[in-house]
Amino acid sequence: MQDRLDLIRTEGLALIEGVSSVAEVEQARVALFGRKGSLTLELRALGALPVEERPAAGAALNELKTFLEGKLTVRATELQNAADAGLGAGTDLTLPGIRPVPTGGLHPLPTIIREVCEIFRGMGYAVAEGPDVELDWYNFTALNFPDDHPARDSQDTFYIDGKRLLRTQTSPVQVRVMETRQPPLAVVVPGRVYRNEAVDASHSAEFYQVEGLFVDKDVSLADLKATVTAFIHALYGPDIATRFRPHFFPFTEPSVEVDMQCFVCRGGGCNVCGRTGWIEIMGAGMVHPNVFAAAGYPRDAYTGFAFGLGIDRIAMLRYGIDDIRLLYENDFRFLQQFRGVR
Amino acid sequence: MKISLNWLRDFVTWDCSDEELAHLLTMNGLNVEGLERFELAFPGVVVAKVTRREQHPNADKLSLCRVFDGEQEVDVVCGAPNVRAGLTVLFARVGAVLPGDFRIKESKIRGETSMGMICSATELGLGGDASGIMELGDELEAGTPADEIYGCRDTVFDIEVTPNRPDWLSHLGVAREVAAIAGCLLQVPETWSPSLSTPDTLDFHVDIQDFAACPRYTAHVARGVVVGPSPRWLQNRLLAVGARPINNVVDITNYVLFETGQPLHAFDLSRISGGRLKVRYAAAGEKIRTLDAVERTLDPTDLVIADTAGPVALAGVMGGTGSQVGAECTELLLESAYFEPGLIRRGARRHQLHSESSYRFERGADWDAVETGARRALWLLQSICGAHIDSGLIDRQNPDSKDPEPIALRTAQVNRILGTALPVPQIIKHLQAIGLKAKPLGQASDRDVSAKLMVTVPSFRRDLFEEVDLIEEVARMHGFEKIGAEGRVRGAARVDRNPRAETIQTLRLFLADLGYQEIVTSSFMDRRAVDQLGIAPDDVRAELLPIDNPCHGGETLLRTTLLPSLLDAARHNVNADAELPLRLFQINKAFLPAGAKRHNPLHADEMLLPEETHALQIAVVGRSDEYNGLPGDLMEIRGALEAISGICRLDLELDPGTTEPFIQPGLGWRVRDRQGRIVGHAGQLSRRTQRAVDVDASVAFCELDLRNLDLAPKPVQYAPFSRYPAVKRDLSLVAGANCTYGDVKAVIEEAAGALLDRCELFDVFRGPSLAGGTALGIRLQFRSPKGSLKGKAVDTAIAKITAALEQRLGVRLRT
Repeated sequence: MQDRLDLIRTEGLALIEGVSSVAEVEQARVALFGRKGSLTLELRALGALPVEERPAAGAALNELKTFLEGKLTVRATELQNAADAGLGAGTDLTLPGIRPVPTGGLHPLPTIIREVCEIFRGMGYAVAEGPDVELDWYNFTALNFPDDHPARDSQDTFYIDGKRLLRTQTSPVQVRVMETRQPPLAVVVPGRVYRNEAVDASHSAEFYQVEGLFVDKDVSLADLKATVTAFIHALYGPDIATRFRPHFFPFTEPSVEVDMQCFVCRGGGCNVCGRTGWIEIMGAGMVHPNVFAAAGYPRDAYTGFAFGLGIDRIAMLRYGIDDIRLLYENDFRFLQQFRGVR
Repeated sequence: MKISLNWLRDFVTWDCSDEELAHLLTMNGLNVEGLERFELAFPGVVVAKVTRREQHPNADKLSLCRVFDGEQEVDVVCGAPNVRAGLTVLFARVGAVLPGDFRIKESKIRGETSMGMICSATELGLGGDASGIMELGDELEAGTPADEIYGCRDTVFDIEVTPNRPDWLSHLGVAREVAAIAGCLLQVPETWSPSLSTPDTLDFHVDIQDFAACPRYTAHVARGVVVGPSPRWLQNRLLAVGARPINNVVDITNYVLFETGQPLHAFDLSRISGGRLKVRYAAAGEKIRTLDAVERTLDPTDLVIADTAGPVALAGVMGGTGSQVGAECTELLLESAYFEPGLIRRGARRHQLHSESSYRFERGADWDAVETGARRALWLLQSICGAHIDSGLIDRQNPDSKDPEPIALRTAQVNRILGTALPVPQIIKHLQAIGLKAKPLGQASDRDVSAKLMVTVPSFRRDLFEEVDLIEEVARMHGFEKIGAEGRVRGAARVDRNPRAETIQTLRLFLADLGYQEIVTSSFMDRRAVDQLGIAPDDVRAELLPIDNPCHGGETLLRTTLLPSLLDAARHNVNADAELPLRLFQINKAFLPAGAKRHNPLHADEMLLPEETHALQIAVVGRSDEYNGLPGDLMEIRGALEAISGICRLDLELDPGTTEPFIQPGLGWRVRDRQGRIVGHAGQLSRRTQRAVDVDASVAFCELDLRNLDLAPKPVQYAPFSRYPAVKRDLSLVAGANCTYGDVKAVIEEAAGALLDRCELFDVFRGPSLAGGTALGIRLQFRSPKGSLKGKAVDTAIAKITAALEQRLGVRLRT
């Protein structure tokens, strides 16, 4: 009996020793412990032994089985480790990855419009919209632009006929909003506007503005400054200085132009700000009583402020875009640079 | 508008740097956009005397001169025809640098040494005669530097003048602002005044046809005028502000325009027929040749100044050549008038003729400056041209014109609008600083913050006509920077949600994540696009709204569909060798003049406005693979629509077939919403349109009308789900030629009963063995909410399904 066990042990060890791959481990396992494996056969043969020999023989056999299983597991682990160690060998890890999905992106203009509107929404402003094709009455007359006044020249207008035009500003929506709602009013109006002028690197016939309007009983120029400053700080950071200069818009009085400190040179003077240290960013002012009257409000009951800013200009300043036409050309080499900007 | 600081110093003084002055003006609303140095300097150029002139031995046209420059006598070669002995000239010594960085060196000209150059006015950048050297007065001493006679050093501000401030279109107007800021006195320029003791009678008449068009017209006569070049100082000032000197009379009218803002016109009196001028509307077809040498045909809305022979000037815009002041003129008539701004603006626009005159008149001239401007010019004519001024004059004024009433200003309203607490005296002080008279109504103590002021506005500030205008002036003079300490960030106390906008933003982000690039395209469209898309004449999109006055000429039309702009972007990128397939989307407007009219407009004219659409377009360009035997681009668009429908919970249905002419027949769908309304279409761009628009790649796209979609997201309602295991069964079916997957799926879902959890297509196969039919591999998954399913229950369901398929569609199990 002992001889047989020794033989099985010797042969088994040789077999395990000879295993040279993970696949052969399984073959060895079958040869030893499978249904016709040498140990299985030997265990079955136990029944043929005399009853008094069986316990000792069984114990010896089981011990041998555990021993060989252990050896095989060790061998299998060695082989697996060796195989795993080779996995990363000779790989080129500079090869491009698999694209999970094709690469899409958002256009910077609607994205900035949304950003601006979100800032104002956070300040309690609702978003309103108006038509691109507008009546002369809303675009000019109701906004206190007299007929035949040179103020109309400043906005080269695409006319459809004497009464209809492409809006030159988002301001007509001020009147549309006031016609249908009563103060207190807090709205921002994003939209496309049009100017009838030759297109070049800094002029586009179509561009985007966001207009804002706040009307209540006791709104002051001081409030306008506080609100606009809060917006600029939200958009450009709390350290950016602003300044307010008197200006002229027919639909506001007093009117202001808002400059912010150049975010490139911080006031020192550079190419971006034309060496002045300041960048013109918004027009604003206190709503003219004639505009209240045109919208059907009493002239004196309310005060309010309005402001407007150019979205294209923000995009150009932010991304260093030197030609406005790029924003409307839809060239993928341009657009895809803004992937992930949202 | 260019403002010379030398000129400004005639009227005001300030004690800060030029840059600081520019800043102060800018912060007061007079935006100084540029600050440039204007300099005429002639280093190394001096007065010299020509002591001898001989013919150059080797050149007919050259002279050999001896020149004394105050220090030494040198030999100089000169090419001017007018050089002669005894002449006083300007001489550029060796080492001098002339304009254009032209350095004078010792040289040999045709064998003769030349130690400098005798200069012409052109060579010195002084303008004028280039044909010969300048001849100076003999009283000038040799050696006097040219800078002492001609030199000029000035700083010029380029200011942005808003259309409400015509008074800032003059040096005097800007000087008033500086005086207000600097707190100094304003020196007014010297003017002519008529001698009251010996009034002449002026034998000349001016008739005004319409005082509304020309409320004031003055005329003076100057005799014994000597026309010639203007003195240097005057020329330098004109040059500094960008005007070209012409002759002393014309220069004086221009000078007064830039100084006082009042446009003037000088007529040669001898060239005016009939001793009479009439300010009248032109007769239809009348002609005038204006000073820019263009013959203009007039119409009855043009206002002209006419003598008995016809128009001599287009009123307020430009004079005519017929009565132009030339060298031979000795007597002139000086016009100074006030024309109605709107009329001048319409005339200048109609004739495309914008002059310094019309620019000021259309913004509103200064009523009083009509007189003071004329008198300033007369003083200059007297002192520069030696003119005698007739004391008789013409001043025709609209008998109905009145000075405007004083404006009431409530100081409480000042503080309400500005958010300040300015006391009454301070408000008065600010108004007085800019030349307004402000008187409190009744008694007001120094500490009052609430009083009513009556404010009188001078003639140069007729842009101020109501209370709020005065409030702006108070703010300006107080300083915008000082306002605001009490300001609050204002906004509504409530938050309005906009579910549509939120859904559209969800869509944008989702589409970008799906791989689509957002584009922003033009609102304009080419008329050819209508044909290229095959849009029928009775289609609402066939009528395009044209722009009446596009600045570049040609036809400019508003788009009625977004599709052409999408295809433009596709073509642009395909032609630029972008990586295919391209995936694009856009959300924007189109304009339908033949579309629906506004409901319940507040203004009747609103009915004239076109319908504005709001659409989403998604496109795949240049995807050429197949998916289940169908074009991959078409299937991707379908997949994208299904995904959008899911993510925005729109329940969109794709209904095969479309009537859109630009979709390839058989390869398109109508998109329906959950009510079954058509809200868009999808499909492959027709080959015909693709060729017509010249896009070198296949295009599949969809368009959704966002206005008709219910974008307010359907609220999510949680539904319990079964945690028991599912049982999967695969069916291999053969469907006949006329039977679609959609039909099969509908029958399965109906026949399977409540246990069917999922039905998925995993294989489609068409082949000759199927005799025109289609083999469909369908995986069904069953699950019960009540417990683990028994095989028997699933078998029953499968039996029902196969029976229904066979009975209703003739679809059998594949054997």
